[in-house]
Amino acid sequence: MSVQVGEELADLVKHPTTRQLVQYAGAQGDFYEIHYDQEFARGVGLPGVILHGLLKAAFLGELVTGWLGDRGTLTKFEVSYRGIDRPGSPYRCRGRVVKVDGTQVELEVWGEDSEGRRTTAGSASVEMNG
Amino acid sequence: MDRLRARIGVDAPPTEAVVEAGHVKRFVEAIGDPNPRWAKEVPPTFLVALAPASLHLAEAEEYGQGWLNGGNRFEYFAPVEIGDRITATGRVADVYEKPGSSGNLLFIIFETDYVNQDSQLVARLRGTAIRR
Repeated sequence: MSVQVGEELADLVKHPTTRQLVQYAGAQGDFYEIHYDQEFARGVGLPGVILHGLLKAAFLGELVTGWLGDRGTLTKFEVSYRGIDRPGSPYRCRGRVVKVDGTQVELEVWGEDSEGRRTTAGSASVEMNG
Repeated sequence: MDRLRARIGVDAPPTEAVVEAGHVKRFVEAIGDPNPRWAKEVPPTFLVALAPASLHLAEAEEYGQGWLNGGNRFEYFAPVEIGDRITATGRVADVYEKPGSSGNLLFIIFETDYVNQDSQLVARLRGTAIRR
């Protein structure tokens, strides 16, 4: 099954909740209060608690590794957090193949909020099995 | 700023951790990724749970009112599996200011190297922390 430039990955829609943010804070060990304490988050100028950037990265990681399966290996994965995302609102992970050079495949990946704004932008490099 | 810049390139004390099955399971449950392969290997962002991906530096906290994560870049050189013993060494790679829409922003670039029990560099993480 060969990979073609322009191939789109099947969308992955996640439904993060405040409970999940607490669960993630514990699993990662990131207890910065903006992810679970509404009052603290508002005190630093946010509209309320927000998703961890690295949780959004994990969602995009799921998108890429789910698509890749056992066909190859992820060699590089980069994400840039452009906007905030809040629990209670769906987070849509999307991606497409932008370059194929032999066994090297480059993907563009991004996350969208419920209004289609790209709040996370990123890329992934994959080495396909020969 | 000078105190922050003085930290550039200085390795923080390394931290060592074993990749434990229970920890990976809790991490995978937290991110909600049902892929069965995570029963043996770790998902792409798991390494951040073994050692802090960035440090909330006290010198930087005098600046602005809160932290934001600007981005992360992972490079993978070898697989990481449950049972591996990983040594993480972090450092500040760069510090700079940039004008933002509501005043200046402080950018701190952190870099962490992850080395396994066979002294093999398995991954490198670069993260951008922002004070706003």
